[in-house]
Amino acid sequence: MSEKKIRPEDDGRDFASAAWSIPSYLLSGMILYGGAGWLLSRWTGVVAFTPIGLILGVALAVYLVYRKYGR
Amino acid sequence: MSTLTLLASGEDQFTPPGLELFDSPPIIAGVDWFTKPVLLALLSTLIVVVFCWSAFGNPKLVPRGVQNVGEMGYMFVRDQVARPFLGKDADRWMGLLLSIFFLVWIWNLMGVVPILQFPVASHIAFPIVLALTIYVLKVYLGIKHQGAIGYFKNMMFPPGLPKPIYVLLAPIEFLSNLIIAPFTHAVRLFANMFAGHIILAFFSLVGFWFLFEKLTPLGAPLGVVGVVMTIAMTGFEMFIQFLQAFLFAMLAAMYIGNSLHAEH
Repeated sequence: MSEKKIRPEDDGRDFASAAWSIPSYLLSGMILYGGAGWLLSRWTGVVAFTPIGLILGVALAVYLVYRKYGR
Repeated sequence: MSTLTLLASGEDQFTPPGLELFDSPPIIAGVDWFTKPVLLALLSTLIVVVFCWSAFGNPKLVPRGVQNVGEMGYMFVRDQVARPFLGKDADRWMGLLLSIFFLVWIWNLMGVVPILQFPVASHIAFPIVLALTIYVLKVYLGIKHQGAIGYFKNMMFPPGLPKPIYVLLAPIEFLSNLIIAPFTHAVRLFANMFAGHIILAFFSLVGFWFLFEKLTPLGAPLGVVGVVMTIAMTGFEMFIQFLQAFLFAMLAAMYIGNSLHAEH
């Protein structure tokens, strides 16, 4: 798919790194932006900020994973 | 243990084992910290030291006996754990990775050794100490090999992303690499051993309760199922014990490898 040269010994390392980092990224995104949304909800009283933050967090984490490992 | 507590309390109904499985009284009265998991952890350390000493202390060109077993373990850790993540640096880290793998494996195996029957890692303090050691090593190596600024820059700002998006993504990288990853490193081992111990205790209690404690025609088949499941789950648990020891060492190698060379 990409022009990037992958040495065979790096292939396994990259794949395993990706497999073990992805859950960690998704969790981080949800905690970080979900948490920020939750704080916003508390301060402003608008309940919708919590789910918006959670979804934004997941979306950002998926985007990060895609850019780092997906191509 | 739990069957004894049940007998003592004189309950008539089957009560599944719970968290009391993990409460162990001090072995010596007055020395509160010295409990069963601590004793087993010390014993495991001793086993690993004695094993490695007898396997690698006086190596022969043609390996025999313990050295043979030790070299099989060494080859496994080197080829499956160290080399995929550390490449040419693998040999330098084999001492650490081999010790971690063997120690965690023996810790876990304590869960199925008759009489001892307690997986050390089911008390989260033990995996936390190991994971924390790796964490400190990871950050130290990262700063040493990539520079203090370079390490955090490589970690938080992976190349090839549009500039404005870094503001949003850098915190995710930071949280993921420095907090969530080491946390899950410890919790993965803990949770597997904790759950496995409860499952084994549950099925053996089912067998004991319905076949010995309250033997009835209707309950007996359930007791047989309990015994069969205990045997099957012990086999499965031994596989999980090995797998978790392998994963713990593998993730340690991965963290060390990523600190030595920035990803990509």
